[in-house]
Amino acid sequence: MFKSLRDKFASFKHSIGKAVHKKEEAEGIEVSSATTTEEVANISASLSIDEKKTKKEKVGLKDKAKALIIERETILGEEDLAGPLWELEISLMEGNVALPVAEEIVSNVREELIGKKKRIFSNTDKIVEDVLKDSIKDVIKNDGPPFDEIISTGDKPVVILFVGVNGTGKTTTIAKVAKRLTDNGYSVVIASGDTYRAGAQEQIETHAERLGLRLIKHQYGADPSAVIYDAVEHAKAKGKDVVLADTAGRMHTDSNLMRELQKIKRINSPRLTIFVDEAIAGNDAVERAKQFNESIGIDGSILSKLDADARGGAAISIPYVTGKPIFFFGVGQRYEDLIVFDEDWLLGKIFGEE
Amino acid sequence: MILNNLGSSLKESLRKLARSNKIDKRTAEELVKDIQRALLQADINVKLVMKLSNNIKKKAIKEEVIEGFDAREHISRVVYEELANILGRGIDLELKGQTIMMVGLQGSGKTTTTAKLAKYFQRKGLMPVVICADTFRPGAYEQLSQLCNANSIPFYGEKGNKDAVEIVKNGLKEKKEYDVKIIDTTGRHALEKELIAEMEDIDKALDPEHKFLVMDAAIGQEAEEQARAFGESIGITGVIITKLDGTAKGGGALSAVSETDSGIAFIGTGEKVDDIERFDPEGFISRLVGMGDLKALMERVEESITPEDMGVEEVLKGKFTLKEMYKQFQAINKIGPLKQVIQMIPFGGFGVDITDKDYNMTKNKLERYKVIMNSMTDFELENPSVLNGSRIRRVAVGSGSDTNEVKELIRYYRMMKKALGALKGGKITGMPKNLMKMFGRQV
Repeated sequence: MFKSLRDKFASFKHSIGKAVHKKEEAEGIEVSSATTTEEVANISASLSIDEKKTKKEKVGLKDKAKALIIERETILGEEDLAGPLWELEISLMEGNVALPVAEEIVSNVREELIGKKKRIFSNTDKIVEDVLKDSIKDVIKNDGPPFDEIISTGDKPVVILFVGVNGTGKTTTIAKVAKRLTDNGYSVVIASGDTYRAGAQEQIETHAERLGLRLIKHQYGADPSAVIYDAVEHAKAKGKDVVLADTAGRMHTDSNLMRELQKIKRINSPRLTIFVDEAIAGNDAVERAKQFNESIGIDGSILSKLDADARGGAAISIPYVTGKPIFFFGVGQRYEDLIVFDEDWLLGKIFGEE
Repeated sequence: MILNNLGSSLKESLRKLARSNKIDKRTAEELVKDIQRALLQADINVKLVMKLSNNIKKKAIKEEVIEGFDAREHISRVVYEELANILGRGIDLELKGQTIMMVGLQGSGKTTTTAKLAKYFQRKGLMPVVICADTFRPGAYEQLSQLCNANSIPFYGEKGNKDAVEIVKNGLKEKKEYDVKIIDTTGRHALEKELIAEMEDIDKALDPEHKFLVMDAAIGQEAEEQARAFGESIGITGVIITKLDGTAKGGGALSAVSETDSGIAFIGTGEKVDDIERFDPEGFISRLVGMGDLKALMERVEESITPEDMGVEEVLKGKFTLKEMYKQFQAINKIGPLKQVIQMIPFGGFGVDITDKDYNMTKNKLERYKVIMNSMTDFELENPSVLNGSRIRRVAVGSGSDTNEVKELIRYYRMMKKALGALKGGKITGMPKNLMKMFGRQV
């Protein structure tokens, strides 16, 4: 997984390296011909472009001139980066990062790299990688408490509501989370809140049976708020630690179904509302994460199907638009196939060797 | 819908072009970049985008602008031609006995689509049967059997049997008398070797006429590799794009089309079994450029509406009362979601961008009107002119609306009546023949 992003970033580092190299060569020629007036003209030209294009440009004329003329360092200007940055944007999108997020990362990288003084012979790759890493880290950073801490410190029963569009893997994910919680010594009850989709109740019932867990369900067509309410009451009565509440998949564009979720939330006040999406989703991942977050408010996400050779772009896009952490990745069909997400792990996967 | 938003981003880029008949290289390059962005945002595969944009660049600069067109129109034409290329050809799906195997990734919507497809064949007058060969996912058997029961679709499955090939063989033997056999399979992805092998075994045992790859409209850049793996393993004859009722643009699924060298057979546009449409690339492109898709609309109309539904006889006789209008409201609901209907009308609902909110409002309005009419007596429905102040008040109270709403309905009725009068008098000319037929005029 993440292979594609890794390859792409390597090529980006390479093309920046090339840009730097070209620049160095060009400057070498300039020095030999010693036409200072031309150089000054060059500098002011590139500066005016810089000013027009990026307001946040911090490098003053003095710095640039100093670096160029006195210290003989290379400064990357907008025009050197245009090509490689466009490549980077395309690569990010090829890695399934959504367009607005790719643009944000690219603009961070641009801001950081332009005007960066670079001593000749120092390692361009390293500089570029650091800038890129920081930009991605900026986009996915989150300071919230980790999942396990929320469970251990939360008032019992901790109610967790799972929401998402159709077919992203909510039910399977609930089974995996249940397995993880029981392994950690918590008692779990599941609420079969998908009373709409054919076969949904039987699906979650099978999982509950296999995991030896109590399932609270009503009939098809029943009010999901009521099912979950009953599960919470059951948990209170029996002293269970966690309630995992399934809901029917729904399109974020269906305002009536989104209102149903609001009602479920209002009645059961879950400690966590988790948005489940699939890692293979493209640009739409951003759109639906945003709309779920806006209309019902989510506390975090779980990304499923990362094993389907996913490029992982959604792992960058979703935290960016929601501002909420990703708790887990689903990486297979077995109950154990759930990985805890953290930034360093993701960055390691993207930039590391394998 | 696929590329719908692409349409608006393209319009934005095209606006940058001067209304001249020359295209300079720089403008073309800027434009191509914008187009690339728009296509990538629609999840179209990067390689496809590059190929496409290169062709656009070449054609836009090289080809002579046709007389009478300006640069903007020229480029739009080039862009849409290229888009038509990646949509692939249409799929020939004969309406006769055949076996169809459904494959795809987990959660792409195979099972729901299987039921939808069976329903489609039923509407076309064939006898479909559905066989459940998903032996892996919990609840898969129940899901399909419940869907089939609720929609009177014959079903075969063996609960507890883990051998998909055996189930398929038994099912085919058991359900010989049915003409269209649709087999639902387990969701799997390219890296699950055992499941891929199982799919190949089913394919061998079944030798189906069609192998449809079901793809979620939201799938991103992975679509290409996944589709290639399915294609190489069993060969895909058509792609079905699901969940197009959300905001996903389906661009990822398009790479599946080009990878498997097939075309889009159907699109899924909702959760109900009727929410499936045949896909016709020409019609789609014409919808995209705002020409509407009358062919699809006609198919819908013919499938679902009889002249009696529309009250055609009465209208032809010059009789148009609230009763006939009520019938027509119901007929509209039968054609399908209003939104889909309007999209098929030429010029994208008469050139206006209609938002979801507007659709819902119109839909709700029609519902309200029906409720109000339900509170009227037969006499009032037959003779709307008797509706005076006190009757209007009664109807308003009876239907839980207010008098303004009732008056609005009456105004709407008068407008319709006038319009139909004009139609009958032949004052509206140049209406497409098909559309005339829709209003019940024999042509």
